[in-house]
Amino acid sequence: MDRRKFLKASAVAVGAAALPAMATAQTTGGTFDLTIEAVDSEMIDGVFVFSLMFFDRSEEGRPILEVTEADIVTINVTNLDTRPHGFGIPGIPAASVASIPPGGSATVRFTAPVGGTYMYIDPTLAPLNRILGLYGAFIVHPKLGTTAAGSPTPYSRSTHTPQVAALFNALGVHKRFPGNKWVPRDVERDKLWLFSQVDPLIAARVDAGEVIPPASVVPSFLPRYFMINGLSGYDTAPHKIDASLDWSKGSGRIMPHGREGQPTLIRNMNAGLCTHSPHIHGNHIFKLSDTRADGTVVLNTSCYELDAWPMEPMARRDVLLPFEKPGDAVVWPPKEEPFPMRYVMHCHTEMSQTAGGGNYPQGMVTHWEMTGPL
Amino acid sequence: MQAADWTKTGVKGEVTYSTFGCNPFQESNFPTPDRVAPDVNVERHMDVSLDLPTPDGQKIRVWTFTDPLAPTVAGRAPMHPAPLMRFREGQIVHSTLDPKKNAHTIHHHGIEPTTVNDGVGHVSFEVNARYTYQFRPSRAGTFFYHCHRNTALHFEMGMFGPMIVDPPEGPGTLFSGGPKYDVERLLVLDDMDPRWHTLEHDAGMCGLDVGLNRFDPKYFLANGVFNNRTTTDPRVVINAKLGQTILIRLLNASYSVLETTIGLPGVCHSMDGCSLGTEPWSSPLPLPANRPFTMSTAQRRDIIIRPTARGTFPVRFRFLHWVNGKVQDNGRGIVDTRIIVS
Ligand SMILES: [Cu+2]
Ligand SMILES: [Cu+2]
Repeated sequence: MDRRKFLKASAVAVGAAALPAMATAQTTGGTFDLTIEAVDSEMIDGVFVFSLMFFDRSEEGRPILEVTEADIVTINVTNLDTRPHGFGIPGIPAASVASIPPGGSATVRFTAPVGGTYMYIDPTLAPLNRILGLYGAFIVHPKLGTTAAGSPTPYSRSTHTPQVAALFNALGVHKRFPGNKWVPRDVERDKLWLFSQVDPLIAARVDAGEVIPPASVVPSFLPRYFMINGLSGYDTAPHKIDASLDWSKGSGRIMPHGREGQPTLIRNMNAGLCTHSPHIHGNHIFKLSDTRADGTVVLNTSCYELDAWPMEPMARRDVLLPFEKPGDAVVWPPKEEPFPMRYVMHCHTEMSQTAGGGNYPQGMVTHWEMTGPL
Repeated sequence: MQAADWTKTGVKGEVTYSTFGCNPFQESNFPTPDRVAPDVNVERHMDVSLDLPTPDGQKIRVWTFTDPLAPTVAGRAPMHPAPLMRFREGQIVHSTLDPKKNAHTIHHHGIEPTTVNDGVGHVSFEVNARYTYQFRPSRAGTFFYHCHRNTALHFEMGMFGPMIVDPPEGPGTLFSGGPKYDVERLLVLDDMDPRWHTLEHDAGMCGLDVGLNRFDPKYFLANGVFNNRTTTDPRVVINAKLGQTILIRLLNASYSVLETTIGLPGVCHSMDGCSLGTEPWSSPLPLPANRPFTMSTAQRRDIIIRPTARGTFPVRFRFLHWVNGKVQDNGRGIVDTRIIVS
């Protein structure tokens, strides 16, 4: 089955194909050039669905924008769609443009806030343009992320709670966590799960030129495809791992991968309209962060250990996967069972495990791999 | 026993679009790796014959696991939810699945075993005939077990049961060093869409649109009791004497966002089988009386309640739709029960 084609509608004429997953755009002087374009996006079952997406110069969809706290960030947005759009990052008021006409451009310039996980979106006609696909990840790395005791974290020290600091201080030290500290700025230790859902019917109505009242979207939303970083099911994890694999993007940015004792951050966000319940096997996660009503990042004062956690629409919630020895294995390391240990993560509200009304489990699922013991 | 051939499983076999989805790896009598002598044996078979009478005079077919080793006829009979598994922290558990018909798995949800003992077909294998899952629960708390084949359907059809791990001290203590309790009530909340209960075992797996993205529940249950009887049924109602400590173990086995409101103040001491407050990065969570809290699918909460007066106190569960947040079935998706302190 040929499922890989992902055609940008604007490029169909010249036959150029692009990749479906999110690209990564490491900051180069904090300037990003984004376009908004209409595309025909191929779903995991081969069905094409009209979508709207952000692109950058790499021709790959929904670039992951990464900056450092206090950087002066410039984002130029060009609207190549036939409808007006806008731009915004909840939690960063200065990063917003109310409307960009078809063919027009706009620029936002702002100082990167404290470290954390943010989402850029088209907030116009909310939630319509967002659920048609106009979303992406905006990641801010802290300027000073270490705890007072010197342990690296993904968060600015000024925002640390004693509990988050205690957890990162315990890594590599506490008897539960032999192995490493969390390693900053390493895409193998910093994963992104940006959830979304696709309703082909609403997409087709927009494509046909229908004006859809935004207030009618939630009551009529019936998703048929469920994604992590724009990918579903089989496509959400690399199935061949070698030196050429790029961990910064695509399925490589989704699948946590490492040895026992290599704790990994997983940035969870939900761009869609379904409340998901991501559930992980093999280890429990520690909940690290939430957002305030104004969209700013807040660190938790109790880092609950969970194997399932709610992700409501627009939620942004970081978790730490400790890469601990699976606590209930009888023989560890196993003698007769080969590595890697492979454990799934899937939404437990299992309608999300389908594609096109069936095809279990070609929906919001991936897995993580523990390649060896300490 | 045969030798393990890992290449025929998701462990060393080639994972393709097909083995990932439509044709997952399946095995019969696969030898449990690193098998050691167990402290406790449990066994589960499959049953697809149970019809539950519904409040509106219909019958709904459920699938379940049965316990062939139960000492009584009633214990061996099909029931919904499937029979409780109860272990002691540190015991080596052998949990054997013999589906007898078709392929299924058992995933012991919240347990952290090795991959082949985790019960997920596309990374290991589904069980055609007899496999013994081996693990040693290291934390006391509330868990559950369920089938992980065509899970959207099999879990909804009822292929799940609760699982409790007691600390070495045994029942009466939530976890070592944690709170003690006198009255224990496990509450498993579930919803059912009757349309789903007419589907086949493999419905949709190989490309057919069977509408498993649409879930419109019409029935709402606690511990297998439909919501027209949950305020009186002794399987649900919580009875305690003044001075006793109550432990409520909550499991959201529905496909709704579950909103719980308890008419008494309590404290949540563990979530998803993990104790709170035993390490410096977490603490128990106070739950003021009558303040709603939500749980997404598969979450568990262990709540300690110490009533300070006699009376009858309401407990309400509202099943909320995952997109619009409204109470399911036009507002009827509610389970009510009571805590009676005498
Ligand atoms: Cu699972
Ligand atoms: Cu589960």
